[in-house]
This record gives sequence, C-alpha cells and structure tokens, in this order.
Amino acid sequence: MLDVALVLLAACSWIGASLLSLSGKLDERWSRWLGLCGALVGILGAGHGLLGGVPSRLDFPFWHGTARLESDALSAAFLLPLHLVAGLGVAYGKEYWPLNHLRGTGRSLRFHFGLLVAAMTCLLVARHGLVFLLAWEVMAVCAFFLIGTDHELSEVRHASWVYLVCTHTGTALLTAMTILLARRSGSLLWLPIPAGPSPLDGWILLLAILGFGFKAGFLPLHFWLPSAHAGAPSHVSAMLSAVMLKMGIYGILRVSGLLPAIPRGFGAALLALGALSAVYGVGNALAQRDYKRLLAYSSIENLGIIGMGVGLGLAGRANHDPWLVALGFGGAVFHVWNHALFKSLLFFGAGSVLHATGTRDMEALGGLASRMPRTALLLFPAVLAVSALPPFNAFLSEWFLYRGIFASLSSGYLWSAALALVALAFTGGLAAVAFAKFYGILFLGTPRSPAASHAHDPSRAMLLPMAILACLCLGTGLAGPLLLPSLDRIVAVAAPGGSVPLGPGLGTDLRFLVGAETLLLAVAFTAYLWWRRALVPPGRAEFRPPTWDCGYALTLPRAEYTGSSFSDAWAPVLPGLKARIRRLTGNFPKPVAFRSEFRDVVGERYLGPRMERLAARLLRFRRLQPGYLSVYILYVLLALLGAFLWMGLRGRLLG
Amino acid sequence: MSPDLLIALTILSNFVLVATSRVNKAIQIAVVQGILLGLIPLAMGLGRHPHILLMVAATIAVKGWLIPFLLRRALREVHIPREVDPYVGYTVSLMLCALGTGLSLILAHMLPLKGGTKEILLVPAALSTLFTGFLMLVSRRKALTQVVGYLILENGIYLFGLLLVEDMPLLVETGILLDLFVGVFVMGIVINHIRTAFDSTDTRHLAELRD
Repeated sequence: MLDVALVLLAACSWIGASLLSLSGKLDERWSRWLGLCGALVGILGAGHGLLGGVPSRLDFPFWHGTARLESDALSAAFLLPLHLVAGLGVAYGKEYWPLNHLRGTGRSLRFHFGLLVAAMTCLLVARHGLVFLLAWEVMAVCAFFLIGTDHELSEVRHASWVYLVCTHTGTALLTAMTILLARRSGSLLWLPIPAGPSPLDGWILLLAILGFGFKAGFLPLHFWLPSAHAGAPSHVSAMLSAVMLKMGIYGILRVSGLLPAIPRGFGAALLALGALSAVYGVGNALAQRDYKRLLAYSSIENLGIIGMGVGLGLAGRANHDPWLVALGFGGAVFHVWNHALFKSLLFFGAGSVLHATGTRDMEALGGLASRMPRTALLLFPAVLAVSALPPFNAFLSEWFLYRGIFASLSSGYLWSAALALVALAFTGGLAAVAFAKFYGILFLGTPRSPAASHAHDPSRAMLLPMAILACLCLGTGLAGPLLLPSLDRIVAVAAPGGSVPLGPGLGTDLRFLVGAETLLLAVAFTAYLWWRRALVPPGRAEFRPPTWDCGYALTLPRAEYTGSSFSDAWAPVLPGLKARIRRLTGNFPKPVAFRSEFRDVVGERYLGPRMERLAARLLRFRRLQPGYLSVYILYVLLALLGAFLWMGLRGRLLG
Repeated sequence: MSPDLLIALTILSNFVLVATSRVNKAIQIAVVQGILLGLIPLAMGLGRHPHILLMVAATIAVKGWLIPFLLRRALREVHIPREVDPYVGYTVSLMLCALGTGLSLILAHMLPLKGGTKEILLVPAALSTLFTGFLMLVSRRKALTQVVGYLILENGIYLFGLLLVEDMPLLVETGILLDLFVGVFVMGIVINHIRTAFDSTDTRHLAELRD
C-alpha cells in the first residue's frame, strides 16, 4: 500500500503543479516546487519498491468491475528515471524556457509537462486495460502539445502532426492488443495468465511489439522520432527520449510478463530488429548536421540496444533458459536507466548550447570548450557514456548484453546471436565516432560563426541538473554490483517463475571490472594532479597555444574540418545522406558548389512522397463539402432514406 | 372527430406548404399543422391521461402561438414576403412531395414496427411529413422558409412519437418541444445576422464561410 500511495501522491503533485502553472496570479515558483516535491516522492516510492521488492496494490471499483493499481519492481524500475528526469527537467526548464518565452508558450509547456509526468506515472502502475490505455492516451496527447510548443515554426508543426499520427496508429494496435488480452484472460485486469497454450498468445505479443514499437522507435516505426526530438524544447526532448520512449519497452516487458509462455521465434526476431535499429540509428546519427537530431538518432540506437536485451530475454523464456532471461531483461532495464541518465544529460547540454548560440547547426559552432567550459566539462561524461566506454554506466549494461549474447550462442540461437554480436560491436564503434564528431565539432576547434564566438555558460539553475546527472553517470558505472539485487527483483517480475539471480554468475566479474575501473580512475586522477603541480608552476598563467588543426596552425575558421567532412569517411554506412557535387569541366571551369542533405530513408524518402500523393487524392472529397446548408441536409435525407430502405428490405434480402 | 381525418388533413397541409411561395402563408400553414398535430392525441382518445393533456396544451401553445410569433417578427424585420427562386421549383416540389408520400406509404408497411396501432395512417403521415420537412430544407433558399422546413421536420418526428405516446415520458416530449423552440429562436437571431452581414437572407452566402 505504501508504495502505491507514494506514487499516487507523486502523480497528484504533478497534476497540481501543472494546474498551478495555469494560474496567472500565483508565482511560478509554487508550481515548480510542487513538481519537485512530486519528483522526490516518486523517487522515494520507486526506490522503496526497488529495495524492498514487495508489490503493493490498490483496488478500486471502475466500470462494472475492479481496477487495480500496483507498484512492483518493474513499475519502480521505470518510475525512478521518470521522476528523476522530470524533476531535473523542471529545474532546468525554469531558465531554459522562461514563462513568457515565445509569446507565453511557457505556460502551456509547464502545464503539459506536469500532466505528461502524471500520466506516465499512472500508466506505470495501471493493471487494468482501460486505465492503461487512458493514461497512454493522455501521455501521447500531452507529448503532442509539448513537441509543438514552438508551434510557429512550420517544421515543428509538421513534426508534431507526424508524431500524433504515429502515436495514434500505435494506440489503435494497443487497443486491439488489450481486447485480445481481455479475451485471453477473461477480464480487463492485467493479472498473470494461468498456464496453457493458446493461439492468441502470438497475436498479443505481435500487436504489443508493433504498438509499443511505435513508441520505442524500432526500425521501420522510428521516423516520427528525430524531428520531434529536434523541434521540442530541450528538456522536453530529454523527457521524451529518456523516459517516454521507454514506455514502449515497459509495455513489451509488462505484457510479455503476463503471458504464461512465449512462442518461439519472437525473441530472435526482436533481437534482430533491435540490432538493425541500433546500427541504423547510429549510422544516421553520424550523418546529422543538427546536433539535436544526432542525439535523437542516437536514441533510436540505444532503444535498439535495449530491444536486443528484451529480445534476448524473450528468447530465454521461450527456451526455458533462466540465465539468458536474467541477462537479457537485466541488461535491458539497466540500459534503460543508463540511457535515461546520459541522454537527458546530453539533451540538457545540447539545450545549453542552443540557449547560448541559438542555432542547431553544428557547422555554425565550434570552439565552445573555451567559451562554455562548464558545459563542456559536464557533457564529457555523457559523451563517454554514450560511447559505452568505461568507467561510465552504459559500459556495464552493454557488457551485460555481450554476456547474454555469448550465452545465447551456446543455446541454439547461433545466427541471431552472431548477427547481434556483430551489430552491438559495430554500434559501439560507430557511436564513439558519432559522438567524437558531436563533441569535437561543437566544443573543439575555433568558432565557425559569430553566434558561437559569443557563447557563454548558462546560469547555475541549468548547470546543476547537468552536474547531478553527470555524477550519476559515473556513480552508476562504479556502483554496478550494488544494483544487482534490484535488477534481480525486476527480472523476477518481468519473467515470472523463470529467472535466476544475476549475482552468482556476474558478481565476481563485475566486482573485478569495477575495481579495476576505480583503480584506473584513481591513478589517472593522481597523475593529473601530479602533472598540474609539476608542469604548471603556480603564479604563471598557463600558455594556451592556438588550436592545432590538421597540422596547420592558425587556420581560418572556414578552412576547418566540418562535421560533414568528419563523417565523410563513413558515407557507405549513412543510408540517408545524399551529396551533390558537380564535376569541374572544361578549361575554364565555372565555380561549383557542394551540397549534401540528409533525408530519413523510411520517413522522408519512402513515406513522405506517398503520403503527399495520398493527401492530394483525398482532396477530391472536398467537393462533398460545398458549403451550402441545403446540400448537407440532402445528405442527411439520403442517409435517412437509405436507412429506411435497408430496414425495410433487410428482411427480404437476407431471407 | 376521427384521428384519421386529422392525419389526412396534416398530409394535405404538407402539399399546400410545398406549393406555396409566400412566406406568410407558409407560416400560416405551419400553424394549422401544429394545431392539427396538437389535437390528434385528443382525437385518439388519450384525453384521460393528465400528462398527455399537458403535452397537448404545450404543443398548441408553442407551435400555434410562440413559434409563429417569432417567425412573423423575423419576417417583419427582414421584409422578404416571397421565396423567389428556390433550388427546386414549386411544381417539381409538389410532385416530389407526392412521390415522397407514396414512398412513405410503401415504407410504412415494410418497417418492422410494433403492431397494434389503430391509426394506420399515422406512420405514413409521419414519414411523409418528415420527408416534406427535408424537402423544404433542401429546396428553399431563404433562411426563413428553411426554418419552416425545420418546423415541419419536427412535426414529422412528433407524429412518429405519437406511436409511443402512452409509453413515452413527458420529459421526452418536453425536450423535443424545447429543442424546437430553441432551434427556431436561434434561427430567428441568425437570420437577422445573415441579413446584416450579407445584406440578404439567401443561405447561399453562407458558403463563403467554409474553409
């Protein structure tokens, strides 16, 4: 009861915060503090659930039956990042998007932000099909308004409409899934279904993967994601990427946890899908000029990695291999946490850069490290974490997945495991390149435009959330062994009756890894201290040489390496990039221009033109709407006559 | 008086209505029809129920006095005595009305209705009045005649409701009457606004408002 009460209290505080933000009289502070209170209570509730592991529930009458709210370890695992990122986001948003920013959009932003958090909180504790769908829908609609905050830009409007269509398609699939689930279990309550094979299981799982896959952004369903993340305010992007996408993962874990057995094949399919998404996402991340789009594509990559973990766990359940289940689900949930931490940090950092320079174009930036030193310092851990480098957190969760895939090699998943292994390694490498580009082009070199040369660090209100996240990134990486019991509890919920604890199998290796990392970190830190003391005598200013670039000192900013030239070597793996170079011809060639543009293969190149053609065809139906009242009444009359005739003739026609 | 006579008179008034071009006359016919409809429950011998008596009084008061009052006032304000060129001419309207009445006689037999009503003309008359109302709404151009069409449409629904009059609660009937009154009231205001906005009450101008 305690956990559910705390979680509900958190949801109520968030609703209160969102309502308070509407009031013009009250100071904005009240709403912010109430939201922060909600976040704190939510973190407490989730933490208690994770540490104690006893599910607590609340039943209440709802629509001719009872509905249940339950907070178990799996809910808590997603509640924790939700409230953490939401709380930090509220604190960050105060400076980043002031209340009267852009003609008062700040008010709508705050209102929908609070409502979004409350809806996701309810969604995570709902154990009733209708309540779940209701919360899902509120979440989706709030996110639509949040994405469209800056609605005077046409690209933002377009992004939010595409998102709305996608999310509703997903909701339609989820509604079908809920109906099938209700038919399978006999009620709308989401309780574990007793054993016994049923042909519905496969359909339920398929619909769940498709419907939740829209939210999670698995490969062919990802196309709404980049422009939505790029156009939204940065702390909202952090919220979407770090938390809302994970609701898809939560849904798959929750629904598959209800089913008594997993049909064979789904695990391997999800593993392959995740692997493809990861490679596709990171490949496209490399091609971006817009750094927020780069981060969005990196989210696709990370969701793909999480999907691989979930696929591995499902394969383990189908194969009755509890060790594989523990590694797969454990690794997936661990990566959910880690991605929430470093991706929100990255988006906050990107927001600081956007706030300072006003442009999302990487090619206009550069040299920010000396102008925004604090932001640069705080972003560095996130860049290392997203590249899965030790000693940061994502290294550990990917290591879980590597262990899982190696374990699955020996249990009959030869092909999918081999593919996943290669994909995971490839993804890690490309992610490192993509983020070397992100960090290098943004922060190193010399400024490429006046906007970048006049940039400065944001205020403490924006830096503090980033500092907290950076510490958490490092802390989670070093505290890996302590998290194993919580992960065990989560896996036990996600795979009822078929898991083994991670501790005995991983504990020794994990402690060794973390010990080695700590040692190296300590050595590096001591070396740094020694170096400072030995090489920079106190009292003398440090000599700063000009930026060294390709072996030439003192280059012009426009002769610098650009982001595009950095990723040019990887052109074969960038499916969406099109470069146009006209050849130099003749003896006295005219000036030629180079142009490259990026269009997403699925969303913009395949679906975009087809949708436009469809819309043009549907315009023909506009003729049905002439604007004359008489014609509309004629339609009513015809419909009425048709209904009468049908009623009269039905008996004769059908016998 | 037998109810069938009243119902037949109602059908006849439909014919007069579609054939007339004068707005004032159309309103008069609508009043006559409203009073006829109000009397039908009494003729059916339902006078013993107090709630039906109440309903009869309300119907006659609203359809025979209140609505015509509103319509005449609107007519005075806009000064349009005639419907000049309707979408469908008067002769054709008359023929369509006859066709509709014939069709409703056929349809009434085909509809799967509860048996046991004595008045065999009730359902055909309801359908025919409904059809006439629609015809006027579709074929007339002036807002005021369209309102009369709406009135006739509601009369058809009322006639249909008489089938169930003994089982239908007073609340439903009152609701329909109130609905009608509000509809006409609002239209009376809207007509005036159409006139001031477009300098005419021709509803064709409303097409400019579409997106």
